Amino acid sequence: MERAMPQAVPLGQMEVLQALQRLHMIIFSQNVSPCGKFLAAGNNYGQIAIFSLSASLSSEAKEESKKPMVTFQAHDGPVYSMVSTDRHLLSAGDGEVKAWLWAEILKKGCKELWRRQPPYRTSLEVPEINALLLVPKENSLILAGGDCQLHTMDLETGTFTRALWGHTDYIHCLALRERSPEVLSGGEDGAVRLWDLRTAKEVQTIEVYKHEECSRPHNGRWIGCLATDSDWMVCGGGPALTLWHLRSSTPTTIFPMRAPQKHVTFYQDLILSAGQGRCVNQWQLSGELKAQVPGSSPGLLSLSLNQQPAAPECKVLTAAGNSCRVDVFTNLGYRAFSLSF
Amino acid sequence: MSSESSKKRKPKVIRSDGAPAEGKRNRSDTEQEGKYYSEEAEVDLRDPGRDYELYKYTCQELQRLMAEIQDLKTRGGKDAAVEIEDRRIQSCVHFMTLKKLNRLAHIRLKKGRDQTHEAKQKVDAYHLQLQNLLYEVMHLQKEITKCLEFKSKHEEIDLVSLEEFYKEAPPDISKAEVTMGDPHQQTLARLDWELEQRKRLAEKYRECLSNKEKILKEIEVKKEYLSSLQPRLNSIMQASLPVQEYLFMPFDQAHKQYETARHLPPPLYVLFVQTTAYGQACAHMKSSQPPRQDKTLSVAIEGNVDEAKALFKPPEDSQDDESDSDAEEEQTTKRRRPTLGVQLDDKRKEMLKRHPLSVILDLKCKDDSVLHLTFYYLMNLNIMTVKAKVTTATELIIPISAGDLLSPDSVLSCLYPGDHGKKTPNPANQYQFDKVGILTLRDYVLDLGHPYLWVQKLGGLHFPKEQPQHAVIADHSLSASHMETTMKLLKTRVQSRLALHKQFASLEHGIVPVTSDCQYLFPAKVVSRLVKWVTIAHEDYTELHFTKDIVEAGLAGDTNLYYMALVERGTAKLQAAVVLNPGYSSIPPIFQLCLNWKGEKTNNNDDNIRAMESEVNVCYKELCGPWPSHQLLTNQLQRLCVLLDVYLETESHDDSVEGPKEFPQEKMCLRLFRGPSRMKPFKYNHPQGFFSHR
Repeated sequence: MERAMPQAVPLGQMEVLQALQRLHMIIFSQNVSPCGKFLAAGNNYGQIAIFSLSASLSSEAKEESKKPMVTFQAHDGPVYSMVSTDRHLLSAGDGEVKAWLWAEILKKGCKELWRRQPPYRTSLEVPEINALLLVPKENSLILAGGDCQLHTMDLETGTFTRALWGHTDYIHCLALRERSPEVLSGGEDGAVRLWDLRTAKEVQTIEVYKHEECSRPHNGRWIGCLATDSDWMVCGGGPALTLWHLRSSTPTTIFPMRAPQKHVTFYQDLILSAGQGRCVNQWQLSGELKAQVPGSSPGLLSLSLNQQPAAPECKVLTAAGNSCRVDVFTNLGYRAFSLSF
Repeated sequence: MSSESSKKRKPKVIRSDGAPAEGKRNRSDTEQEGKYYSEEAEVDLRDPGRDYELYKYTCQELQRLMAEIQDLKTRGGKDAAVEIEDRRIQSCVHFMTLKKLNRLAHIRLKKGRDQTHEAKQKVDAYHLQLQNLLYEVMHLQKEITKCLEFKSKHEEIDLVSLEEFYKEAPPDISKAEVTMGDPHQQTLARLDWELEQRKRLAEKYRECLSNKEKILKEIEVKKEYLSSLQPRLNSIMQASLPVQEYLFMPFDQAHKQYETARHLPPPLYVLFVQTTAYGQACAHMKSSQPPRQDKTLSVAIEGNVDEAKALFKPPEDSQDDESDSDAEEEQTTKRRRPTLGVQLDDKRKEMLKRHPLSVILDLKCKDDSVLHLTFYYLMNLNIMTVKAKVTTATELIIPISAGDLLSPDSVLSCLYPGDHGKKTPNPANQYQFDKVGILTLRDYVLDLGHPYLWVQKLGGLHFPKEQPQHAVIADHSLSASHMETTMKLLKTRVQSRLALHKQFASLEHGIVPVTSDCQYLFPAKVVSRLVKWVTIAHEDYTELHFTKDIVEAGLAGDTNLYYMALVERGTAKLQAAVVLNPGYSSIPPIFQLCLNWKGEKTNNNDDNIRAMESEVNVCYKELCGPWPSHQLLTNQLQRLCVLLDVYLETESHDDSVEGPKEFPQEKMCLRLFRGPSRMKPFKYNHPQGFFSHR
């Protein structure tokens, strides 16, 4: 009743700790469920939260529908990467890949289905897994990360069939060339390597930082993101975001973006990229910046385009990074709202 | 009869036909004489139907005769006159008959009337009789229902149940063989039994009364004896005083204090009793020594007892006084007309008046520092306030930045979350304030002491949140339930404040005072140095550009203390804005960083700065050190120095720049970067001494 000035409500210990946790949360990975209606997001505390896209996008969405339906502790360390098969959600981070049944997650009973660890050589520190990639033709999963190798796991048997050597530092990202079974990988050593899955050999190497046009030595050599579409490949990181023609291994377009990019993807005739900074950048292939759409996080780490044909109403772009929020863009030019841990 | 009448008439007709009218008259005369009244009797004998026929016939005859006379007259013959005469005579006879018939009819009519009347009277008599009878029936019925509705008094008597009756009553009363079949007899028997029992109980009652009388008398006697004992005991007490003093047993002193305690207002009394009890219980638990030897908690009462006694006078008097004084006041105001401001001021003072007695609680901590708490009771506001003071065993050098740490104003702030003690906890007070124009209690808190919520709870005062003007009574159980936690909190608060105080003293001189038992948390060589540790204002903190997140998250309330630290290594300067929650160390200090080295780096544009903040703020548990983790702040700062070292040493070398790195890598790291956000190896592994990723 006293007419005191409005002030921040002093919090108890638990509230402060929770607020601090939320404040220092990083969402590393996100993945859309096979039905297209749900979004899984993994953070640096090893938690995976499931958001209902359909509920939050519906006309009668409330504040609660922007909160996770389920949150569960998936890993001990951060959840760096997630992919979905038609039934499973695969998550990886601290050296292990774990599988969860989507059906069970949605029923809120979250028990891991299985877990696998690629054969590592070192024992001092368990290498992390930075990227997962599904190869649908072989029904296999490629894992890459801290031990500089690409491990292929057969999803049928759960055994690791081969390891691809070549990178000299840890691997950041993977991309699959749809037509020929080839895999691209980009790593901390600044090289993008092209692997032929049939022969399990390295086919091509592009050392991006060696090209003067795109090298930015003060940012380092690392390749943080890459995406590919037929003969084209776009990659970024320490060096500038660059569009490459694979067959000739030449950079065709250098996108004028100072901040290192952490995620890039092709979308129709555009390239979407995100990284340091609040914005999701949209580029023409010619190198023009078409739009910069601001999000709510100070830095973005992942973009996810929900293109599941099963749920056309949930066709959205989601972006997450250095905050506890996942921004949802209903069309490419505008942030509709944020889902929040 | 009809045959008779027809016989009689026949001759008459014949006679009337043949005999002269005189003869007939004569005869009827004689007849009349013979039977004194012939016609009335005749009526009975004659048939009215025949009379009617006769009448009809006579009339016809008359008509015929008249017609013949007419006829004769018109013809007018000689002998006509005779004939007419003859006819006239016949007609006369006929007229006589008609007359007779007429008389008869009259008599009949009269007779009929008489009969009807008679019959009617009879019916009336019967009717009357019937009504009488009906009335009688009704009356009888009423009587019957009255009888039926009659209630005997015995029905009101609560009788024992049937089974019980047959079980308990002696057979000469119950007479089972008779009463079983006859409910009337049964009831009578039961009533008998009831009477018997009641008689017995009355007897018993009388006995008890006499007994009671006797006992009362005994009590009286014993009381007299006891009252005679009191002066004797007093004299013994007096005599024992020197012995008590000699033996250091201050029973009497305690007794006196209890005596004074009687004059405490209820909340202070509850506080006094509960704290004393808690203090004794603690002392008992800690050692088997007598309680007075080991006092971590001592309670005393201070103030003017006489004034308090004066307050306790019977309420009527005081009310009178008040009204008198009110009247006087009115008069004086009329006379003197003091300014409104002075009057309000007086009223305010009156409202904020404290009870003359206060309870002093001294809480001794392990290191001999003492927290002095003085509890006051504001009589008119019905709230309690506390003033706190900390004294230490050794004289402290007061660091500039520690100004607020032990100040009476803030040392107990937010003992419980949100309890800053600047608002009155009694919702009713606001109405009182409105009257005298006090905006908020905040302005008076320095003078009156802080009305923290826990103080009210210790005093057993519980204020509902949304119910103004609710009667509040001092409650012992409320006080007891909060005593232990509050005392513990008070102790930890003082200790943590003292520990902070000590840490601040070194921090101001750029020394991070890592204690030996926390040394294992950090590598032996730490190059980064703390160069500045200053306190800053809340407003300044909120205006810093890199603290926006904390302010938005609501973690920067104005009850917190704010500091700015500067850590340097070479050309790199790391600013750290620190929020120190009053709940330190259960709530960790929160750091926000801004690194000035090759441009300005904050958590917005550098993931590793973000990671460093997270290392200090979120992973603070591993920095707590041994319980009760008062060294947390120091450890966090030292950790920050280590983090800066790692950050600078692992910064990737720009190949294009000539010359050696400014910060050569000295730390042993397994890997430089890890994960998508290229984290640096901030985690220190103690025995091996290398750095790895979290």
